[in-house]
Amino acid sequence: MIEIINVSKWFGELKVLDNVKETINKGQVVVICGPSGSGKSTLLKSLNGLEPFQEGDIRVDGISLNDPKTNFIKLRQKMGMVFQRFELYPHMKVIENITIAPTKVLNQSKSQAGKKAMELLERVGIPEQADKYPGNLSGGQQQRVAIARALAMEPDIMLFDEPTSALDPEMIKEVLDVMVDLAQSGMTMAVVTHEMGFAKEVADEIIFMDEGRIIERGTDKSFFENPESERLKEFLRKILI
Amino acid sequence: MNFEWQVISNNFFFLMGGLVTTFELALIAIAGGLTLGILVGMGRLSKFKFIYYPATLFVNLMRTQPLILVIFWFYFLVPLIIGRPIGGFTSAVIAFTIFEASYFAEIIRAGIQSISKGQMEAAYSSGFTYWQAMRYFIIPQALKNMMPSLITQAVVVFQDTSLAYVIGLREFLRSANIVDAREMRSVELYLFVGLVYFIVCFSMSRICKKLELKKGYA
Repeated sequence: MIEIINVSKWFGELKVLDNVKETINKGQVVVICGPSGSGKSTLLKSLNGLEPFQEGDIRVDGISLNDPKTNFIKLRQKMGMVFQRFELYPHMKVIENITIAPTKVLNQSKSQAGKKAMELLERVGIPEQADKYPGNLSGGQQQRVAIARALAMEPDIMLFDEPTSALDPEMIKEVLDVMVDLAQSGMTMAVVTHEMGFAKEVADEIIFMDEGRIIERGTDKSFFENPESERLKEFLRKILI
Repeated sequence: MNFEWQVISNNFFFLMGGLVTTFELALIAIAGGLTLGILVGMGRLSKFKFIYYPATLFVNLMRTQPLILVIFWFYFLVPLIIGRPIGGFTSAVIAFTIFEASYFAEIIRAGIQSISKGQMEAAYSSGFTYWQAMRYFIIPQALKNMMPSLITQAVVVFQDTSLAYVIGLREFLRSANIVDAREMRSVELYLFVGLVYFIVCFSMSRICKKLELKKGYA
């Protein structure tokens, strides 16, 4: 469970997160949307300590990120992350991308990690790509490898930072399918995305952010059918043409 | 004017002995300079002031000194500090390692900066520490990007080692110099020395070209 308690953050003078409050319960899927520069990626990256914040607190399973004794290395092992630009390691084969963290961080044996990696590649539908380098895969395939890489650490929570926005349209579905499957398996997920179809299908809660604040939140019905704020109405008009 | 090339064959083993010393000095200086350079280059990117400032001071100090002066420093100063002579080869090795490290450091700093911030974030979010991330992901990629600059610098180190001549170290140039003092065949000897330097350095830069061409991942 993640508790975000009145979090604020500044980049110099600019306030990028403004008193953000949110709770993500175990097994929940929370979708965060909003215009670019609204602070949604910053919020996501603050959940696993990639972005520090100045005010408030974030607690992951009761562990405060503000506590100087908190071990971020340990904390992150339980939080997988998927990036907009995939961020696979280009000098390693697909299979090595997936096995390196389990072998080097969790000290699993090569064969154990390799077996698990192949299962994960099956799960995301590309076992035949195991021995290729990421550069030889399509964007959609690379993102699926990135998801498999994160899952290899057997995380409790998965964070997705605009996982489909760098993809060609015909590849978006193959990635979303994997994410839907993951959501339905009970994974706790925080997803920054504009894919409203995905939000409708699996989100337990949708948050709309603008200028560092959470403007509106809702389940899919209330969110899409009766948006309250003008800002959200305008945003939905733009993305749901 | 007539050439007497026998001076080369008559003193071939002596000259080659000098060349071996040159190679030894260059290889140790390259390996040591690169290792120290990686640490200093990372220090130049550190967010900790107590690491950043000493690393930056070191790089700026070394890069503003003539190499020959650095060689003198270590030759004359180190024995004074530690209270016993350390010999020409050792002092040259230390001087070259430290001097070249400052140049390698700047290449490495630029190479590390060429790797996107997202790679570090990906490594962190898988639970890697900073050092592990550097070791497994950032440095291997950065090294690949900087290979051409590193080889160019290695060629420079190889040429620079001839300056160890000034502290009497019997490297390649010094060996030719000794033969010349005895046989008075400057033109032949120094042409030969130049030819050997050309062959070694030119082959290294050809390798560098090849690497540049096949940059990028398979």
